[in-house]
Amino acid sequence: MIVVDNLHKRYLTDHGPGKWVLRGVNFTIPKNTSVGLVGRNGAGKSTLLRLIGGIDYPEKGSVKRYCRVSWPMGLIGGLQGSLSGRQNAKFVCRIHGHEADIEEKIAFIQDFAEIGEAFDDPVKTYSSGMQSRLKFGISLAFDFDVYISDEVTSAGDAAFSKKAAAAFRRLADHAGLIMVSHSDGTLRQFCQAGIWLHEGKAHWFDDIEDALKNYKESIKA
Amino acid sequence: MLPQGFKARSSLSIAISVWRALLLREALTRVSGGRAPWVWLLLEPVVHMALFVTLLTVINHKVVGGIDAAVWVMSGMLAFFMFRRCAQQGVDAIGANLALYTYRQVRPVDTILVRAILEGVLMLLVSTILFLGGLLLGLPALPDDPLQVILAVFGLWLFGIGFGLVLSVPKELIPEFSHVYGFIMMPLYFISGVVFPISNVPLPYRDWLMLNPIVHGLEATRQGFSVYYHAVPELDLSYLFGCSVFLIFFGLVLQLRFAQRMIAK
Repeated sequence: MIVVDNLHKRYLTDHGPGKWVLRGVNFTIPKNTSVGLVGRNGAGKSTLLRLIGGIDYPEKGSVKRYCRVSWPMGLIGGLQGSLSGRQNAKFVCRIHGHEADIEEKIAFIQDFAEIGEAFDDPVKTYSSGMQSRLKFGISLAFDFDVYISDEVTSAGDAAFSKKAAAAFRRLADHAGLIMVSHSDGTLRQFCQAGIWLHEGKAHWFDDIEDALKNYKESIKA
Repeated sequence: MLPQGFKARSSLSIAISVWRALLLREALTRVSGGRAPWVWLLLEPVVHMALFVTLLTVINHKVVGGIDAAVWVMSGMLAFFMFRRCAQQGVDAIGANLALYTYRQVRPVDTILVRAILEGVLMLLVSTILFLGGLLLGLPALPDDPLQVILAVFGLWLFGIGFGLVLSVPKELIPEFSHVYGFIMMPLYFISGVVFPISNVPLPYRDWLMLNPIVHGLEATRQGFSVYYHAVPELDLSYLFGCSVFLIFFGLVLQLRFAQRMIAK
């Protein structure tokens, strides 16, 4: 369960504090619930994911994580370009306290990512699809209760999308998912509930369809 | 409302696993990144030392302050490099590890501390190799008082950590700071007595130079190498340690205060 309480966030710009991105966001994500986050560009979706993931801090309000939450899997960050895929994977295992079963985890990641011999090449030589495969594999190696995904599945090829979808579905039995995606299909496929971010406020919908409907209407007007 | 059976790791166990992971990661890039990294680790101090030993001997100073000129340059230079490399690595640590702050377990201060530990170990190895080389060449490179050398170098290492902890904050938050950093580091090399003996400077100017804690560390190192060394009379190692402890605490406070802003970019 994740409780988000009265979250306020703004960023510091070169000219002092910027405008509020989030102005009093409240919601509670129950256990094992998959939530899709919708809203226009710049509505604060990625900001909210970073706050939930604990790598950014609110000006006011709080995020309480009563479960193991993954880092925000996104298109950027998380991998060190000069190190190989294997070395990056080992690093993530170590910071999560999996020193003892590291061989097992690495084998799993290598198997899932299916990037062949590139697993031992520096990550900076990877294509964006290969990076997605690796990041996704790394995050699946750990037993999180909630996974945070910032469009991580959108960069792969068809085979990877299929594999990612299958993996997400398997996860749904025992874990929750918070995802941002600009594809309605992806959201409908994986999410039951939806959060619509609009003008700094979050609106919770028990059905993702309602969230999408409200979002669509807001951009039409 | 807390679900049953959920147990978070303790802060200490998280910190230890993060330090371990970072240390292995940093060590890997430091000694296997690029081409022949070991050569560069050794070459920088060697080139500096060769240059100044040659300069001193050409102008006919076989002895500086009562000890062999080459040993004088080596001990001062390597002690100074202990400070400068730790400081430099610390100042650059945050920018070099931006990709890793995606994981909330990793904080900027972790990367600085881990780099300082790694750099300290590397400098010890480098110094040992170079002094062994000096011994083979027939230099009187064995310290008379090894404990004092260890203590002085330890003080310089601590000072380097404090320096890195403090200056990494403006380096990340103020884009123009990298210019200022150059202005600080360049004269430090000269006013710390790496290449000329501070004891030759007359009073009252010498008192001003002695405000720089690095001078105390360098002079103490040289005194440890030879009991016959004419160290600066104002030499006081506790001043170096006092300044280091102050810088480290001040740096930790800054890290605590600005951690969020340094990551959130």
